[in-house]
Amino acid sequence: MNLRINGTDHEVASGPGALLVYVLRDELGMTGTKIGCAAGFCGACTVLVDGVATRSCITPLTLVEGKAITTIEGLAQPGADGELMLHPVQQAFIDVQAPQCGWCMSGQILTAVAFLQSNPTPTEEEVIAAMGENYCRCGCYHRIKQAVLAAADRMSVAAQPMEVSA
Amino acid sequence: MTEVQTPQPPISETASTPSPTAKPASKARWRMSRRGFLIGAGVVAGGLALGYVYGVPWTRLQLAQVFEGAEGPPGNYPEDPWAWFEVLPDSRIRLYLMKVEMGQGVHTALAQIAAEELGIAWEDLDVAQASTGRDMGSSLMTSGSSSVSGVFAPLLAAAATFRAMLAGEAATLLNAPADQVIVAQRGFAVQGDATRRVDFYTVATSKENWEAPKEAVPVKHWRDFTVIGQSLPRVDIPAKVTGAAVYGMDARLEGMKYGAIVRPPTLSATSKSFDVSAAEAMDGVVKVVVDKDFAGVVADSRPAAYAAVAQIRSEWDEGHRWQQEELESIVTAEGADGIVIQDVGDAPRRLAEATTLTAEYRTPFAIHTPLEAQAALADVQPDRVRVWCSTQGQGFVRTQVAKAIGVDEKIVEVIPTYLGGGYGRKAGWEVAIEAARLSKAAGAPVHVGWSRTDEMRYGYFRPLTHHKLYGRVDAEGNLVAIEHRQASGDVAFDFLPPFMSTVMGADFGAYRGATIRYDAPNKRTVAYRRDLPLRTGWWRGLGLLPNTFAVESFIDELAYAAGVDPLTFRLRNLRDEGDSARYRRVLQAAAELGEWGKAAPAGRARGLAGQIDVGTAVAMVAEISLDAATGKLRVHKIAAAMDCGLTINPDGAKAQVEGNIMWGVGSALIEEMTVQDGQVVPANFDRYPLLTMKEAPAVVVTLLEAGDGKPRGVGEPPIGPVAPAIANAFFALTGKRLRQLPMNAARVAATLT
Repeated sequence: MNLRINGTDHEVASGPGALLVYVLRDELGMTGTKIGCAAGFCGACTVLVDGVATRSCITPLTLVEGKAITTIEGLAQPGADGELMLHPVQQAFIDVQAPQCGWCMSGQILTAVAFLQSNPTPTEEEVIAAMGENYCRCGCYHRIKQAVLAAADRMSVAAQPMEVSA
Repeated sequence: MTEVQTPQPPISETASTPSPTAKPASKARWRMSRRGFLIGAGVVAGGLALGYVYGVPWTRLQLAQVFEGAEGPPGNYPEDPWAWFEVLPDSRIRLYLMKVEMGQGVHTALAQIAAEELGIAWEDLDVAQASTGRDMGSSLMTSGSSSVSGVFAPLLAAAATFRAMLAGEAATLLNAPADQVIVAQRGFAVQGDATRRVDFYTVATSKENWEAPKEAVPVKHWRDFTVIGQSLPRVDIPAKVTGAAVYGMDARLEGMKYGAIVRPPTLSATSKSFDVSAAEAMDGVVKVVVDKDFAGVVADSRPAAYAAVAQIRSEWDEGHRWQQEELESIVTAEGADGIVIQDVGDAPRRLAEATTLTAEYRTPFAIHTPLEAQAALADVQPDRVRVWCSTQGQGFVRTQVAKAIGVDEKIVEVIPTYLGGGYGRKAGWEVAIEAARLSKAAGAPVHVGWSRTDEMRYGYFRPLTHHKLYGRVDAEGNLVAIEHRQASGDVAFDFLPPFMSTVMGADFGAYRGATIRYDAPNKRTVAYRRDLPLRTGWWRGLGLLPNTFAVESFIDELAYAAGVDPLTFRLRNLRDEGDSARYRRVLQAAAELGEWGKAAPAGRARGLAGQIDVGTAVAMVAEISLDAATGKLRVHKIAAAMDCGLTINPDGAKAQVEGNIMWGVGSALIEEMTVQDGQVVPANFDRYPLLTMKEAPAVVVTLLEAGDGKPRGVGEPPIGPVAPAIANAFFALTGKRLRQLPMNAARVAATLT
């Protein structure tokens, strides 16, 4: 099967029933996507499929063939100077020092990316509702919430035309 | 395309690694010219001898006093600076650490300690996880909130010595007086003449044999620290937001296979037979291994391994089918076998001679549930064994793997990866043994990654506890006498040689936090060791959460019974000296931050609790309400104050308080593992849900300093006061006591009717 991941086509040997998380992690060696419960409860394995936050541990390849898959490895993009630039959500997670162990963070960050695309100016309550299905066992919720709000600020600033002062 | 990692230690916290063709990093040996450290534990072994002289109860009390109230276990860390440091060809310095990074920020904190005495720019230091192949002393365990407090002095000394040795050599190379050689960028320069300089690498490689300074190199006074005390960003975080960080579950080697293990159907099951014919015939199966009670599969992929292991038809003698009620009836704090672990004045007499208040508390089994399940990659070859593992105890893993596959420990190297959560659960070694046994049988590297069900059911648990408290207060609100009788399943004993339990009688892990820290003239704590038919062990803070829940709830009960405000009551019973004075200050600071004494918003109430653990004083005010529709207790806000002595990284310390608060709220309101028909009930998060952002309280944290330049632990102490602060707030709100965890809707409803 052919999978389009982070803008690149990958020919995989796994069959249509194979679960995306194992194909990413084991067949393709992209271990940035984590596995937590293999049952869709915890959100550690979240990736984007055509921009939608999707739990890769319960997603067979048939559901993603021909779609654009984005994993944590594909979130940073080359900037104007060719240097890899972190996504504003990644940068916000660094700025507030959100991760502890970090195992849930790929899933948290991708969940936040999808959410902020649909709601660029969220309230705190909306952030809680959107992020409320992703476990963080270290208990970084306080900072994850701050990071998502900070990322929204960053992205809205980035989206505005630059003000030029005289 | 499959990208395979090279068999290098998969940990590097630096973006820039010297290219393989570059010059090798410095290598050197040093010769000791003064007496090395001699820190033998010896405490318990010594206890054996004392027992003959002074009698067993006296000895046990003395031993208990060593553990309960201590500021962490003794450590044995290298004195040789070349064990800690390496100079890279670009003259940056690399720090090797035996402590593992599991999110507690310890690599950053320890790097700050090193940078302080090296005197180099923060950017010029990098950090690497040491494997067991590097001689780093015998403290190969990351636990007990003891990493910073234990490593602090040895690492400061090693860094100061390293700098002094290099500076001395630089003085020779520069032909300058030693006292005029200063650290400048990545090297040394002569003071006042920046053109006369030599880089670290040149100095470090100028000779191979270094002599230790005759006199200990002095370290800075703590008031002069400039790197320590700063909230520097964590060195491990960038890799954790890009997916680059490698954990045990991510460890990969060329040609590796995946393993899975057959699990017993009940807690007391013993295997009778395994029929592997169906499994062997399955696609992708490389080998099926049966060895007495061990049965596992090696396959080309993880799904194939899981599928094949499910096809092994096994027969079991299921043993007794334990029920929850039976287990609870085992754990009772009564009988003649209690071990006195604290005995001040004459509490039994003072309690017997007047009316006392009595209350009982219970806490449930809890599961660690790190989101990264147990994972290890083993590559067993005839002359060399390597194990990449998410572990808190690489020394244990090395010993146990060697034993399990029958090789000399010397040929086993354990390479700790990042840990996707530890919390005490990654102090075991089962998964590493499984991977090693399968690798040996298959003749290939094998990765074993536990399923969530394995992780939920086949590890070890925070044990059930039961507490009985007795207290007497005089008319002025002074504690006259207090006694805590505490029963618990084992915590530490399962991991230690049997003589420890023989000598100590009661499990120091189980009674952590059980003693009364208030200055009552008569106080006594009695620990009852209770033998449970399932594995119980280290869980964040060990006995700290259950014991603090019981003691701090009861202190609140005494305060209300005496008609004294709970803050005032606590302060009244703490002298203004020593640790009691530090405890007073955090209580006052938490009260101020949590608006204690001010009216709570409508429908809400506040509760207070505190504790001193591993020398760290911490107190919290919880603000709660009750959702009338769901019957659920809602924690809106927790205000915390902590004095962990000298704080290395304040933001990191605050993050630990925040995380501990979420753990505490989860245990207070939700977490409960039960046993039914001989098996652990939860197999996944549907039956053991965790706290989410939806229930997470707002958190405010303030840090206080002891003012004595001594760091204490932060990874666990703040877990203690959370549940009692919530329970005490519930009483303030409703006039009813919740004396059993978790305080879920069913228990709230039962208490209110």
